[in-house]
Amino acid sequence: MQKEFKLPELGENIEAADIVNVLVKEGDFVKKDQGIVEIETDKATIEVPSSVEGKISKLFVKAGDRVKVGETIMVVEEETQETTKTTESVAEEKNKVESLSAKKEEKKTEEKPASKPAVSGEKKIVDFHLPELGENIESADVVNVLVKVGDVIQKDQGIIEIETDKATIEVPATVSGKVIEVLVKAGEKAKVGQTIIKVETGDVSETKIVETKESEIIQEQKSEETKPEFIKQPTTEVKGELPKLHPMEFVEQPPILKGAAPAAPSVRRIAREIGVDINKVPGTGPGGRITMDDVKAYSKKLHESRAEGIGIGIKAEALPDFSKFGKVKKVEMSNIRKKTAEHLSYAWATIPHVTQFDKADITNLEKTRKELSKIVEKSGAKLTVTGILVKVVVEALKKFPQFNSSIDMEKKEIIYKNYFNIGIAVDTEHGLIVPVIKDADKKSLTQISVDMNLLAEKARTKKIGLEELQGGCFTITNLGGIGGTYFTPIVNSPEVAILGVSRSSYEPVWNGYGTFEPRLMLPLSLSYDHRIIDGADAIRFLRFIVESLEQPLKMLL
Amino acid sequence: MNLTVIGGGPGGYVAAFLAADLGMNVTLVDLEKNPGGVCLYRGCIPSKALLHVAKLIHEAEQAKNWGVEFGKPKIDLDKLRNFKNNVVNKLTGGLGQIAKQRKVNFIQGRASFINSSKLKIEKVDGETIEHTFDKAIIATGSVIATIPSLNIQSKRLLNSTSALDLPEIPKSLLVVGGGYIGLELGSVYQSLGTQVSVVEMLPNILPGADRDLVNFLVKRVKESFAEVMTSCKVLEMKEVENGITVKIQDEKGTIVEKTYDYVLMSIGRRPETRGLGLENTKVTLTDRGWIKVNKQLQTTDPNIYAIGDIAGEPMLAHKASHEGRVAVEAIAGHKVAFEPMAIPAVVFTDPEVAWAGLTEEEAKKQGIKYEVAKFPWAASGRAITLDRTDGVTKLIVDPDTQRLLGIGICGPNAGELISEGVLAIEMGANVTDLKLTIHPHPTLSETIMDAAEVFFGQSAHYYVKPRK
Repeated sequence: MQKEFKLPELGENIEAADIVNVLVKEGDFVKKDQGIVEIETDKATIEVPSSVEGKISKLFVKAGDRVKVGETIMVVEEETQETTKTTESVAEEKNKVESLSAKKEEKKTEEKPASKPAVSGEKKIVDFHLPELGENIESADVVNVLVKVGDVIQKDQGIIEIETDKATIEVPATVSGKVIEVLVKAGEKAKVGQTIIKVETGDVSETKIVETKESEIIQEQKSEETKPEFIKQPTTEVKGELPKLHPMEFVEQPPILKGAAPAAPSVRRIAREIGVDINKVPGTGPGGRITMDDVKAYSKKLHESRAEGIGIGIKAEALPDFSKFGKVKKVEMSNIRKKTAEHLSYAWATIPHVTQFDKADITNLEKTRKELSKIVEKSGAKLTVTGILVKVVVEALKKFPQFNSSIDMEKKEIIYKNYFNIGIAVDTEHGLIVPVIKDADKKSLTQISVDMNLLAEKARTKKIGLEELQGGCFTITNLGGIGGTYFTPIVNSPEVAILGVSRSSYEPVWNGYGTFEPRLMLPLSLSYDHRIIDGADAIRFLRFIVESLEQPLKMLL
Repeated sequence: MNLTVIGGGPGGYVAAFLAADLGMNVTLVDLEKNPGGVCLYRGCIPSKALLHVAKLIHEAEQAKNWGVEFGKPKIDLDKLRNFKNNVVNKLTGGLGQIAKQRKVNFIQGRASFINSSKLKIEKVDGETIEHTFDKAIIATGSVIATIPSLNIQSKRLLNSTSALDLPEIPKSLLVVGGGYIGLELGSVYQSLGTQVSVVEMLPNILPGADRDLVNFLVKRVKESFAEVMTSCKVLEMKEVENGITVKIQDEKGTIVEKTYDYVLMSIGRRPETRGLGLENTKVTLTDRGWIKVNKQLQTTDPNIYAIGDIAGEPMLAHKASHEGRVAVEAIAGHKVAFEPMAIPAVVFTDPEVAWAGLTEEEAKKQGIKYEVAKFPWAASGRAITLDRTDGVTKLIVDPDTQRLLGIGICGPNAGELISEGVLAIEMGANVTDLKLTIHPHPTLSETIMDAAEVFFGQSAHYYVKPRK
């Protein structure tokens, strides 16, 4: 069948475009979404992708032509049913391969614990499993194993060091005792719930080395068991009344249709295999019946929206061969680096950023801070500008609730938060980590300072727990310790704003009475999500912070 | 992957065979010489062999209405028993062969768990071995339920197993329990010449099925059986010379005492988890005594799966087989779940009663919107040629989407006919699909198409007011 491809709608008020380049020729086989022509409109030069598929039998345009929207660009000979099928089945194959490899992976990890069966039922030997690490974290890379067979370990002692998407952390033991088996190695992936080590608990002294054999354990148990008798047709007695038993046979027919989607068993199975919830698939058949095509279309849509969501759609440029220019070394990205890269690309691509700058005169604040720090130091932490900023930001968030929110674009909802958890970006040798100070509104400045100190230390020594990295509302990133004046921090999605702090320095400031005074000025950079925060509000928010730093009492007004 | 299946019934052997096909190293443990379980040895299969004979006897008798007289049948009980035993041996022996062909390691013995990866197997030859596994499937089924106070020691007190052995043709038999087992076995004995009575605690026999389906059976049973006592309770049983005296109390409290040649207890089946060593594993039970499983049939012990009767209701062989397949595929790492739209239930009496999916009773109870379309077999040409118009085909339909939610059939061969309905429910078919599918004429299967036409008020054979 022949099909025409016309110049599609290009955008509001664009009626025609100049062809800069024709990317195909007659006889070519074009695929859907393949670029056909490059056109120049008033706004940009773009590639026009094909909406049809097939062999080009006629091409009507050439470079330099001006084409109107709706004008035919080419005619293609659409493939026969059969060829459609092949392309479809290729996609299917691909799906299959994908699901197969996924299966294989599942199998691999599953089989590991199975190959070394757990000796349960034995009181003295305890399996130590990889504990829950946090929401959506199913596995982690084992970076380091900190114990070996024969070690006597204490509760809370670090057993392994793992790297998750978010951080490298030590997993502490939940039991004390002697390690009799270590089931993971550095470099392996461990699943949540997987047995990591086996520990012999109880009175285990280091000198008493007992090799517990499975057979011994079994024998102990066996002696307790009574030999079951052989009964050919075991009949047993029921103590209950007759009616309770009686209708047993058919009463519980499966609740067939508590909203179960109408779809053939084969369709339901495919959906399950490719990870699609059949109940969410819109059925195009009579009465909403779901066909195989519906499932595929839904799955495709899901993938597309996922892909779009991460701001891919921009083609990756091919990298040159750098080794041509000099020596290079290739290092695999760590999980933290990968995650940081993904997360920040996502934030950068989806959030329309605006950064607002201002500076605060902290001459007086510095004086007070140094004095008060002595009091705080009694609790073991210093009073820092960042600590004070946490408190100030909390007040600002209370005053400007849109800064303490998240956006759900899918549901077109704004989620306002009634809690005040402030993330503090910490630079560590393993990468950027953002521990969160929970409920900062309920904590004293001293407590915040102590918390910050503790969290930063934990972050640097990889001791931080994942729950301490989750739940942030707003992030403060202070680069002042290193230097610099202003910068444009990236909003830590799904938060909507971030405050960047740079190094304070003395500047001549006009005092309004005819002279310049040396004042200690702190540069502040506030990046925010323009989808929800308007520019005027942003400067009001930042002004509030500046003024609160300059005249802390103002916060209380 | 070493997989061990405990119990060789229709759940266990199906699981073991599929696992072998998927390349697992499979061990199947069962007490009998061959796979088969209760279903093949003393349940579905032998009872069907006898019910086939029963139906034949009835039809021969009925033939006099059509001008053919056979006279009173002569019954050779030993030969009949042999026929039944041959059926069982043929099938179980066949399964034994298939197990060998599939290289399934079949161990005749009783298994119990030592821990979550090891079993103790007491083989019937006296040897006890230890056996390790990566994954195990428990498929040990259910046992006959009894009532302690009525559990007297007497060879005249039968259960479903001993009743299938046809000890003799009793003059009279009391069937305690009006469920499908009691009615099926009662029908067998009735056809062989026994005066059969049924006593049922609930107001109806065959609880759970829609009344309009069961009514044909009730009518027939009431005609052919000596007595059907509903809302009646057995208080006491006592062996007397040549019989058992039974005290029965009706709903008004009146107590009567009757003596029967034999009594058949068929009050149901229940799971038996004792003796499996489950205490040595992480397997847990539901409060009703079944093993707790998820949709992959995995128990609370990740290495152990459970299928069939021991994993919950309905306790039906075909449910067990399906669960067996799901469990094995789940073990093989496939993304599967036990989520049937409908599990058909069939009572192989005469007439047969079969249903699947939503019943009208259930729809009412749950407040689900539904519409019913019924086609009486009195309007079916095929039923009339069989002189069996005591049947009905009934569709339960979602009025909004016209999707088929449930189907019920009563009549000869209802058990065979129901599958079309099950498929339709599984496929999410609507009434129009059934209506527009050409059914062969003249057959009983046409009644499904007819019922679909009734839904639209367009049945050629049965006038109802057309649908607006």
